[in-house]
Amino acid sequence: MSASRLPGADARPVVAFSFEGQRVEARAGDTVAMALWAAGQPALRASSRDGAPRGVLCNMGICYECLVVVDGDTVRGCMQVVREGMDVRRGGKP
Amino acid sequence: MSGERIVDADVGVLGAGPGGMAAAKALAAAGLCVVVLDEGHRAGGQIFRQLPPGAPHAAIAEPPSHAHGHALIDGFGASKVELRSGASVWDAKPGRLWFEQDGASWLLRCKHIVLAPGAYDRCIPFPGWTLPGVLTAGALQVMVRGFGVVPGKRALVVGSGPLLLPTVTALASAGVEVVAALEASSRWRALRALPGVLGNGARLREALWYGRKLLTAGVKLQWGWTVFGVEGDGRVQRATIGKVDADGRPRRETARTIEVDVVGAGFGLVPSIEAGLLLGCASRLLPARGGHCLVVDAEQRTSVAGVYAVGEACGIGGAEVAMAEGELAAAAIVRLARGAPIAAGIARKAARERKAADALLRAFAPLPGLHELAQPETIVCRCEDVTLARAKAAAALHGGSHRAIKIGCRAGMGPCQARICGPSLQALACGRPELPMDLPVAQTPLKAVRSETILNAPEG
Ligand SMILES: Cc1cc2nc3c(=O)[nH]c(=O)nc-3n(C[C@H](O)[C@H](O)[C@H](O)COP(=O)(O)OP(=O)(O)OC[C@H]3O[C@@H](n4cnc5c(N)ncnc54)[C@H](O)[C@@H]3O)c2cc1C
Ligand code: FES
Repeated sequence: MSASRLPGADARPVVAFSFEGQRVEARAGDTVAMALWAAGQPALRASSRDGAPRGVLCNMGICYECLVVVDGDTVRGCMQVVREGMDVRRGGKP
Repeated sequence: MSGERIVDADVGVLGAGPGGMAAAKALAAAGLCVVVLDEGHRAGGQIFRQLPPGAPHAAIAEPPSHAHGHALIDGFGASKVELRSGASVWDAKPGRLWFEQDGASWLLRCKHIVLAPGAYDRCIPFPGWTLPGVLTAGALQVMVRGFGVVPGKRALVVGSGPLLLPTVTALASAGVEVVAALEASSRWRALRALPGVLGNGARLREALWYGRKLLTAGVKLQWGWTVFGVEGDGRVQRATIGKVDADGRPRRETARTIEVDVVGAGFGLVPSIEAGLLLGCASRLLPARGGHCLVVDAEQRTSVAGVYAVGEACGIGGAEVAMAEGELAAAAIVRLARGAPIAAGIARKAARERKAADALLRAFAPLPGLHELAQPETIVCRCEDVTLARAKAAAALHGGSHRAIKIGCRAGMGPCQARICGPSLQALACGRPELPMDLPVAQTPLKAVRSETILNAPEG
């Protein structure tokens, strides 16, 4: 995971959550989308047409390509900040 | 219970980017009560991205102008302005802004509204652009400068306009190898920007700074090139690049393939005017400024009484324009509220910055030929999974108006409200690259919020 972060000491606490049932370690202040990117998981939702993977496009809340389901609510992964213990699933059709 | 979730202020500012911050700071300094709403997590807007506190930030190089930004953020933090971060504004009418914050439904009541909602990246569809790992140029900047996350090992940066430069420098300072940086405009066309750059000391310094950074990173901007397509198994692995003609039309015989794991594409910016349209503000199409822009007078007043607009929403112009216009809007409001005259320098500065920005952007007006990158099976509307072939069939069957295309194939009807496909949809569906972009949709909710937020919205 450290290879996909800028070098240097990170003073932020680790925040752990689950993505599709697997444990992911993030840092406080990460969004779900950025934590998953840093963990090598760029595919966030499946397109409705052929199930093709989709991921972050705009990273600023405009495009809705990063939809994930957090504790049952469909949200934009690039705007949702990580919380300890949250359950994150891949999103589907927006 | 919804009754408690009402805030009152003299001025409500939508957006905590350079435009909104400059306005809010000046308004607070004049003793007015100001509340700023921004969906982002920290002040700064798109350009002055701040990393989360405690994150390592050693490596990121910033151009000289960002010193103004940091001074503004510091001054803003120290001022009496109430900033509400993570607040998505989803509905508006004069004197009222409805927003969702931490899952709760809120209403801001104010005498004046300053709109500073900024802009978003303009997308142009090309084969493979839906693969994870193809992002907007802005998204890559946000990733590096806003979150300290490294996008990949080998990057391709494509598009058109000044924003390719900060994207390349952000990637290079994060240790990413920028395999190619492709500007679709020709070098000769870009020369048109020269008077705008040479005539403005700050812009010239900025251009030289970026030039030096590219040189040290060993990245050479290739003029008149773009991406023809991207491929990979579940994520980006290869890209085909090639030359384009003076109108942006791909010259297929020049195609060659390179190995990359991330692509940043930025074909300019589109002004975010939806909130203004919802408020009833007049707009007009100014292609060189990025598309439909809110119309303002010499004091940043929109056509609706009590509603002001500053920065990118009035046409793409960059941070210096946004800050100058923010101060001007504040001065106009202070004159109304306190009777204090507007200092002459403030209006002059805003006009000067806007003129310099217009001169620069003329060189990067969208190239219609880039609409020939998409192939029949290329998805044009990502929300509804509509391919170019389907959009064309809809236009042929139902007529080529924006409305007919949308109803015919559902393109542009998804949650992004056509922010991504709208700029190119009609040109693509009608096979007429020169057709202008659609007027953005003015519909609530402006941002997707919980249904409870809408049901529990405080009345006002
Ligand atoms: C990703 C990106 C990177 C950029 N990098 C550079 C750069 O390096 N150099 C440069 O000169 N220019 C850059 N720009 C151009 C940039 O738009 C301007 O320089 C400057 O940020 C414009 O200031 P602004 O105040 O008009 O808007 P912005 O800085 O865009 O601020 C607008 C704010 O409004 C908020 N907002 C919008 N709608 C809502 C809503 N409905 N509810 C709540 N909040 C909302 C947004 O979250 C945002 O923080 C960049 C633009 C983008 C999109
Ligand atoms: S990546 Fe565009 S909304 Fe999240």
